[in-house]
Amino acid sequence: MAEFGTLCLFLALAASAWAALASYNGWRVRSGALVLSAERAVFAAWGLVFLAVVALERLIFTDRFDLEYVASYSNRALPFAYKLSALWAGQSGSILFWVFILCCYSGLVVLLNRRRNRPLMPVVVATLSVVTTFFLLLLNFMARPFVSLSHPPPDGMGMNPQLQNPFMAIHPPCLYLGYVGLTVPFAFAIAALATGQLNDTWFRTTRRFTIVSWFVLGTGVLLGGWWAYVELGWGGYWAWDPVENASFIPWLTATAFLHSVMIEERKKMLRVWNMALVIMSFLLSILGTFITRSGIISSVHSFTRSDIGPMFAGFLGLCTIFSIGLLLHRVPMLRSEHRLDSFVSRESTFLFNNLLLVGAAFAVLWGTLFPIISEAVRGVKITVGPPFFNEVFVPITFGLLTLCAICPIIAWRRATPRKLLEKIQIPFWAMLAAGTSLVAAGIRDVYAIVSFTLSTFVIVTTVMEFYWGARSRRRATGEAPFAALWNLLDRNKRRYGGFVVHLGVILIVIGVTGSSAFKQEATAALRRGETFSIGRFSLRLEDMESQDTPNHEFLGARLAVLDTGRWVGTLTPGQNFYKAGQDPSSEVDIRSTLQEDLYLIMIGFDPQEGRATLKAYLNPLINWIWIGGAVLILGSGFAMLPDLRQRRRAAEARLQELQPHAV
Amino acid sequence: MRSETPRPGGGRPWRALLAWLVAALPCAFLFAPGVPAAAEQTPQTLVENALMCYCGCTDLMVRTCTCGTAARIKDDIAQRLASGQTVDQVIEAYVAQHGEKIRSAPTRRGFNLLAWVMPFAAILTAGIWIVVRVRRWAAFGAGPPATVAGAPRTLPLADLPGADRKRLDRIERELRQDL
Repeated sequence: MAEFGTLCLFLALAASAWAALASYNGWRVRSGALVLSAERAVFAAWGLVFLAVVALERLIFTDRFDLEYVASYSNRALPFAYKLSALWAGQSGSILFWVFILCCYSGLVVLLNRRRNRPLMPVVVATLSVVTTFFLLLLNFMARPFVSLSHPPPDGMGMNPQLQNPFMAIHPPCLYLGYVGLTVPFAFAIAALATGQLNDTWFRTTRRFTIVSWFVLGTGVLLGGWWAYVELGWGGYWAWDPVENASFIPWLTATAFLHSVMIEERKKMLRVWNMALVIMSFLLSILGTFITRSGIISSVHSFTRSDIGPMFAGFLGLCTIFSIGLLLHRVPMLRSEHRLDSFVSRESTFLFNNLLLVGAAFAVLWGTLFPIISEAVRGVKITVGPPFFNEVFVPITFGLLTLCAICPIIAWRRATPRKLLEKIQIPFWAMLAAGTSLVAAGIRDVYAIVSFTLSTFVIVTTVMEFYWGARSRRRATGEAPFAALWNLLDRNKRRYGGFVVHLGVILIVIGVTGSSAFKQEATAALRRGETFSIGRFSLRLEDMESQDTPNHEFLGARLAVLDTGRWVGTLTPGQNFYKAGQDPSSEVDIRSTLQEDLYLIMIGFDPQEGRATLKAYLNPLINWIWIGGAVLILGSGFAMLPDLRQRRRAAEARLQELQPHAV
Repeated sequence: MRSETPRPGGGRPWRALLAWLVAALPCAFLFAPGVPAAAEQTPQTLVENALMCYCGCTDLMVRTCTCGTAARIKDDIAQRLASGQTVDQVIEAYVAQHGEKIRSAPTRRGFNLLAWVMPFAAILTAGIWIVVRVRRWAAFGAGPPATVAGAPRTLPLADLPGADRKRLDRIERELRQDL
């Protein structure tokens, strides 16, 4: 089976390289046969990579510890779901999974464009295939998943305990789907630049791919935060780790693109900028992969340091030079057809929104790379940790929140300051009310007050957009209130889906603010019957518990939780001791409400003294982060729904175009 | 004759009162039954936040790391502070022992100042460029205002009050542009 997998990967490399060469040459010499051959090679590469994935999974499930990968990331006791996710637990397996997703995207692009975008497709296929070929080169020569061991162990080392978590099984595929998905708009942008077909076809064709990539990347980031929260046992969800940052940066630039592309659709403006954003997002996704896998920056999430770093750096450099060179070559053809009518307009707010989103991406990238810069310039290793990112990112977030509130209520083209002031009266009063209420309630944290008041501002303006729109429609059509609201939403899913996404982001901001500014913690070493307190909660150690499973042994401390003296339940934080011999992992226990989380960790247990060392966190409003994530997913899903009315109109228009010819 | 509906946000005092209530109620709900205490900043926590844990298993600050190494560092910090050392002295002692890498953030001196200044300098420069550019565009490319009449209407708007008519007109126009 290992030989079969190796053969599949080698043939896939040949197919992918052929697809790149044939497609490019087909475009150069205008040969339809070569282009068709390249498109078939894309499907061949997909099939071969799929077979390699099946081969590796089969080896994992059949406990073939004569294979280095299986011996390193699996063992006999590993549960079924984690044997499945062992595919992306290690370096070479995760690259194989990455290539598989890229091949799926490539196949889908070819399938959806058999009769569309034909002038662009040869370069699209060539670009996608070049990226696929690069990753297949890594798999065939640098990070080979099918390497055999001369002395196979009787059992494998098992998966890292921290990866044995349902969120960690879903989080990497989401990130990969997002990262890899950004290759599709990049390929279309390169095709548009190379062919000179710079009308709106390229971004209209890839809009759904971009939204899907942005959506799954965002979902992956959120799931990663959730995983860190429930698994890593430090009471937080985001540590501004380089690998976390690497996934966040392309998400920020993709968010900027999703906003600025609206200006191109309406005004044929920002065409160079949109191309630059798409190229930037792709390059940043490759940079993220480079950071994760090269070991150039130390991170808790990094894969084992390997020698594929220089290959990634080289590929990143070539992609950067080639794409920027092509963009500069086409700049004269990308001049805007229109100009802005007024400084006070929605277009302007979009420009500033882009400034802050890309500025935020730059700030995070700068902080992530600064240790390397410092070492190169001064020869001194430094750390750029959470205090830096919080201090730099928070003011930018406040700017984004302000724009998020103003943008929906300001008119396109030109808005008079008087009308703008009229429209923000209610949100302004609501914002002021929220601020004074918070101060009156005794809150003195300036960041928290600003964050909550700006969040109120955004929520009120957004809800007002729904309310006034539905009310006006009801008055115009006589529809019932809910029918008017539904029809309003149905008529423009992108617009109102986008507003729902804004609401989701605001809920996340509220959760982050509450859980950062008002977090409390307490540590204690308790014997049976002893109590310690955090906030209004008292925690009494009832007993120690143990549980034996084929995979691990669990040792936990059962604590009674009393809320202002009233018993509200028990929590059992503990540790898993894995039989494969890895370090123990913390198993936190959480009492969750909308108001706060009571988060308990057992740091250790001294059996001689019978004393458990426990740490408790009180994280106010933290669940609003996950609720906000769900709202964000809902809004994105709604925005992505196909517009049947638009399709019908397009079909009718095509029919009308055809009718004169028929006559 | 139909009475004119007040503009959104038009100056009626009850609207401001309503807005106050709308915003104050969620705040009351979120923070009931008591106002949470803001995260405490004692000398101990200041030092713990300023230093990274060197246990090697995580990239966390001493304050957040739960490993045994972090526990020992916390005890040591407490002893140093109890012996009369200031926050800065404790931090400097750790930096002298473990190098600059132990700081959780770059200092605001010398070359490290660049880390703090660069993001804001970049945003400010680009912001000024955008302001200048947009003002120039607006000066040369001014067209008719967005609210100008003439665009075809798809709904019977004639009977609507002024504010609703304008709003629906705007939404319809935006919808058409989206399509």
